[in-house]
Amino acid sequence: MERWGGMLRVLLSGPGWRGGTGSRAFSSWRRHLPQAGLSATELVNEWTAVFEKEGVPEARESSEYIVAHVLGAKTFQSLRPALRRQPLTPAQLRCIRELSGHRLRRLWHRHPPSYPLGRMPVQYILGEWDFQGLSLKMAPPVFIPRPETEELVEWVLEEVAPRPRAAEPQGGPLILEVGCGSGAISLSLLSHLPQSRAIAVDKGAAAVCLTRENAQRLRLQDRIHIVPLDVTSEGSWAHLLPWGPLDLIVSNPPYVFRQDMEQLAPEIRSYEDPAALDGGEKGMDIIERILALAPRLLKDSGSIFLEVDPRHPELVGGWLQSRPDLSLQLVAVRRDFCGRPRFLHVRRSGAPDGRPVDVQPGPLPAGAPG
Amino acid sequence: MSASGWLRLPAPLARMGPGPRRPAALLSPGAGVAAVQVAGKKDRPALLPLDEGELEEQFVKGHGPGGQATNKTSNCVVLKHLPSGLVVKCHQTRSVDQNRKLARKILQEKVDIFYNGEDSPAHREKREAEKKKQERKKRAKETLEKKKRLKELWASSTHVHGETPGGSG
Repeated sequence: MERWGGMLRVLLSGPGWRGGTGSRAFSSWRRHLPQAGLSATELVNEWTAVFEKEGVPEARESSEYIVAHVLGAKTFQSLRPALRRQPLTPAQLRCIRELSGHRLRRLWHRHPPSYPLGRMPVQYILGEWDFQGLSLKMAPPVFIPRPETEELVEWVLEEVAPRPRAAEPQGGPLILEVGCGSGAISLSLLSHLPQSRAIAVDKGAAAVCLTRENAQRLRLQDRIHIVPLDVTSEGSWAHLLPWGPLDLIVSNPPYVFRQDMEQLAPEIRSYEDPAALDGGEKGMDIIERILALAPRLLKDSGSIFLEVDPRHPELVGGWLQSRPDLSLQLVAVRRDFCGRPRFLHVRRSGAPDGRPVDVQPGPLPAGAPG
Repeated sequence: MSASGWLRLPAPLARMGPGPRRPAALLSPGAGVAAVQVAGKKDRPALLPLDEGELEEQFVKGHGPGGQATNKTSNCVVLKHLPSGLVVKCHQTRSVDQNRKLARKILQEKVDIFYNGEDSPAHREKREAEKKKQERKKRAKETLEKKKRLKELWASSTHVHGETPGGSG
């Protein structure tokens, strides 16, 4: 009993913790403080209960990822069962407690904390996340890649791979990514297309920095140019011309409707750069800008692939028709794994590959979700 | 984990690692069924592919439009094979896509064992491996015995010819 009390003091005496009176969250959390000697499985259950009590969403997932991370695994299920049953060391418990604290709300009371709001996204807590099998560093406020976006990359790879590359003196496709964030899309395309090269742009300095870092971690820095650039500013696109006409423009541009911004969960609102999300009144601002620039940057056979809001396929189709000067057409719409229309493929009208010029995406089937 | 109900969603499967790409530009997940082929090992037939139409898949859906507007980390995939009622839950990786592929692979093997029982390739392979192991053990034992007998024979024959090393036997 005394040993346990001593252990408890050790666990509580880490940096940033205040004992005694504090917020409701802290004192109720302390009642639930996991004891030393617990196994990973038991610890996950303990922290899940703490998170649930404090109204933290994805309580179980959050605690599983944190515990797995401290034990060196990417997911809890991938941990060897034997490891899950072993008692954890005090150091491991400390680490888990510190990371878990970031999920809780207002844990620190008087001590000025770095993240006073709690509800930190798990990806920022762990400082890393996976995308298409690549491990990428994550850091606020740079936008965290969403699972849907992996499917965007898959689609691009399907469209690009069959094309013969023999005629290209420089090899593989030349890709522009607009709004690269952590570099997820560009870097996974580069890693799957060994001959390709990419130009990745972002108007956020932190994003440019993080993409550079991830490119280096993945040893892809020689095949990617990362450029601070705001595509909405006048004449910025001219900086891209020297690299030559592009084969592909890919983007997961900010596409949230302005009115939806305040509905975003605290994880997103408090930590991710709003500029990476806010697409203007109809979420179309950056999308329109990319499409307007595309004809000047793309080869005749080039393609644009975008991730968008489920309301956008119709809006984009209509907008392109109102801009015949661009000579672009929406050739395909693809759904994400939840069945929502999520991805667009745009090409020049009459692109020279035998596709019929007047292909229009059919109306979405009745009863389609989203 | 909010229950979103079972989705009858024959969704397109991404490539299974380096391999032939799927047909391009599907307009909806319904278009084109991608049957999962588990590559057969050298001397056993491939497992029967799963019919996507017989599968129900469940993911955690974000509220509202999803995509950028949500940040869900739960990438667990629950896959149900309707005819047999077998269910696989996969959260091996952080990627929904990868988990879907893995779930199908695991389910495929489970379905195979379910229908083929003792005759399933997985079981057959196991039995063969076990059999081979026993045979190897047996042979190793026999070889050891032979060596032993040979040694004894040699020892006794040298003794007979009066060339005993050291003291008398």
